[in-house]
Amino acid sequence: MKKAALALSLALAASTAFAQKPVEITFWSWYLSPKFDAYIKDSIAAFEKANPTIKVKWFDKQDSLVQDFLSSVNLGNAPDVVNLNIDETAKAAQNGFLRPVDSLVSKASLTSTFYPQSIANFSTGGKVYGFPWYGWLNEGVLLYNPDLFKKAGLSRAPRTMTELLSYAKTIKDKTGAYGYVPAYKDPNTASFLGYFYSEGLPVYDKAGKAAFNTAAHAALLQQYVNLYKGGYVPEDAIRREAFQVATELYAQGKVAMVVGGPQALNRLKDNNPGLYKSVVVTEAPLGKAGVQTGGSMDLVIPTASKHPAEAAKFAAFMTNNVNQMKFARIVPIVPTTRAAQNDAYFKQAGTDAIARATSLVGASGRYINPGYKAPKNSDDLYKNFNDNIEAALLGRKTAQQALNDSVAYWNANMK
Amino acid sequence: MIQSSGPRPTGRRIRAGLRDTLLSYAFLAPALVLLAVFTFYPLGYGAYLGFTKYTGAQFAQGLGPQFIGLENFKALIADPLFWTGLKNSLKYLLIVPILQFASLAVAVLVNRNLPGMAFFRGAYYVPVVTSISLAAVMWEWVYNKEGTLNWILGALHLLPQGGAFGWLNNEHTALYAILLVTFWRGFGYYMVLYIAGLQSIPEELEEAAVLDGANRWQRFWGITVPMMRPTILLCTLLSTIAAIRALEEVLVLTNGGPLNSTYTALMYVYSKAFQGFNFDYGLASAAGLVVAAVALALSLLNFRFFRSDVEES
Repeated sequence: MKKAALALSLALAASTAFAQKPVEITFWSWYLSPKFDAYIKDSIAAFEKANPTIKVKWFDKQDSLVQDFLSSVNLGNAPDVVNLNIDETAKAAQNGFLRPVDSLVSKASLTSTFYPQSIANFSTGGKVYGFPWYGWLNEGVLLYNPDLFKKAGLSRAPRTMTELLSYAKTIKDKTGAYGYVPAYKDPNTASFLGYFYSEGLPVYDKAGKAAFNTAAHAALLQQYVNLYKGGYVPEDAIRREAFQVATELYAQGKVAMVVGGPQALNRLKDNNPGLYKSVVVTEAPLGKAGVQTGGSMDLVIPTASKHPAEAAKFAAFMTNNVNQMKFARIVPIVPTTRAAQNDAYFKQAGTDAIARATSLVGASGRYINPGYKAPKNSDDLYKNFNDNIEAALLGRKTAQQALNDSVAYWNANMK
Repeated sequence: MIQSSGPRPTGRRIRAGLRDTLLSYAFLAPALVLLAVFTFYPLGYGAYLGFTKYTGAQFAQGLGPQFIGLENFKALIADPLFWTGLKNSLKYLLIVPILQFASLAVAVLVNRNLPGMAFFRGAYYVPVVTSISLAAVMWEWVYNKEGTLNWILGALHLLPQGGAFGWLNNEHTALYAILLVTFWRGFGYYMVLYIAGLQSIPEELEEAAVLDGANRWQRFWGITVPMMRPTILLCTLLSTIAAIRALEEVLVLTNGGPLNSTYTALMYVYSKAFQGFNFDYGLASAAGLVVAAVALALSLLNFRFFRSDVEES
């Protein structure tokens, strides 16, 4: 009897000790260090304080994130929470690398916290694979150089995409500076396919086949081809991301308008504070569909995570409204939480360009939508699409032929 | 029957020989183990993967590669993008003779004890240690439509009015523009190897040639080049293999464009092996095997060409 009591008390002590031993989870962010070290560390500290049984080990990964992830899975020490974007989440989920997060937290908590579209952005095959985190809008704001506008005889910002393209010609003809840099060759979901969505032209038909080669699609592409061939767009736009080219040249006074998120203004403020003071920030024109395109980051839980429940708890904490709003106060991100749209922070008026841009787009997280779902072998298909766009721009193919060829390739190779 | 005319080995001698052999292998063992683990095994496994199907989905589920014979090679043959890459990689070889001749010539020039030579040697070596991302930014400025190169050509009236274009944006010039970057990056490296080779040439040969009345050009072709042939073979081999494996410059400067005019075979391997989560290790390994086979064939050609010269010299 004595022995049994002793054994029982030992077992209880052991189980108590075991229960109190904190679980350590590993969190990988993507390109956030060193600029946002303080924010991440403070958030982790707050989480650990609220959850003393969970410790978080943070690593910031940069261009090697995916390769490191694969190696870690192979070596059996996969991270528990990983920061990905819409495209990579889709690819990782389609290939079986991720756990559905709606199996770890209730769907009700997800739908009450995040915009429906934000959840849809990270859903594949009817399951949600990521906690939506910060986002951005491709058409978020328009910023322009008032001096170049004045020289070109323009008195107000363009209100439609058609007007924007015509402004680009006027500005180049009258000032020598470029008006605008379209996203011809942006990677993956930010490619020219986004323009189809903006103009209300579908990427797929109802059967899920690629269908972006109608006469209307070709006419739209032709407009942009004409702009390029006419010398109204910097040549580098066929080789580099439009946002990079536009922000660089705007700071040099060689581009009059930039369409994008408030982050463009951060760069301008760093590179040319004088030009930053004069920049005009206003609403960006939308395409005929009247919709925004955009992207977002999320936090995913790998299938190989050893502590999925704790990982989900941490991911939910990092992406909740309080923490996304804290992040939005540091850098002009667009939160993906429903509550953010009513936050007073986005309603404050100010004369500063970044503050104005933030107030214009900060509460617009519900519009974040790439416009279409990435196919399974998206890298091959996007490359083929971009190669065909390039061929049209360089006059190797007509716009119609380029789109026909790409659609044929997509439908033959789409998995 | 031919009999050995030397003394017959005694038991003691045999034991001593065996001991020496074992000792030699014992010294070699650490290096051999490292080579086996980090070179031969990955090489063999990579070659095996070329005959298998091994995708992201299999990897995620913990499934191993599945043997499919020559299917990956058939897929490669049917993929025009792979052929474009291979063709461009072969075009990349153009840089090899130019790079070797120039670095040898400059090595001869800076291999003198004149004031300031150390600075020149150092300066030529700087691009070797410059990171590719930094080099890319610099060369962007050079090749841009409004960049330094067009400015110089314009100032020299070599560019017609309004004829400026971005050298990296044009499918006819992009590859050659990148070759120049490769030249700039590799030049100092080969120059240092050549300087090392030059310093091993006995001074008496040069002195004798001077006494015989040979001029500098005659001494270069008559003494330096023949004596340097082993070094030239080494540098040409390294440079050929590097050209076939060109990736970094292309990736950061043009990402294979425009119109895939700079897309190399190794870019194909890289994109198939490391493209997000839907990679295809099998296809990438097969493509890697083809690239390795081409590099091997070219190396053998180099060997054949220079080896006979080396033997003659």
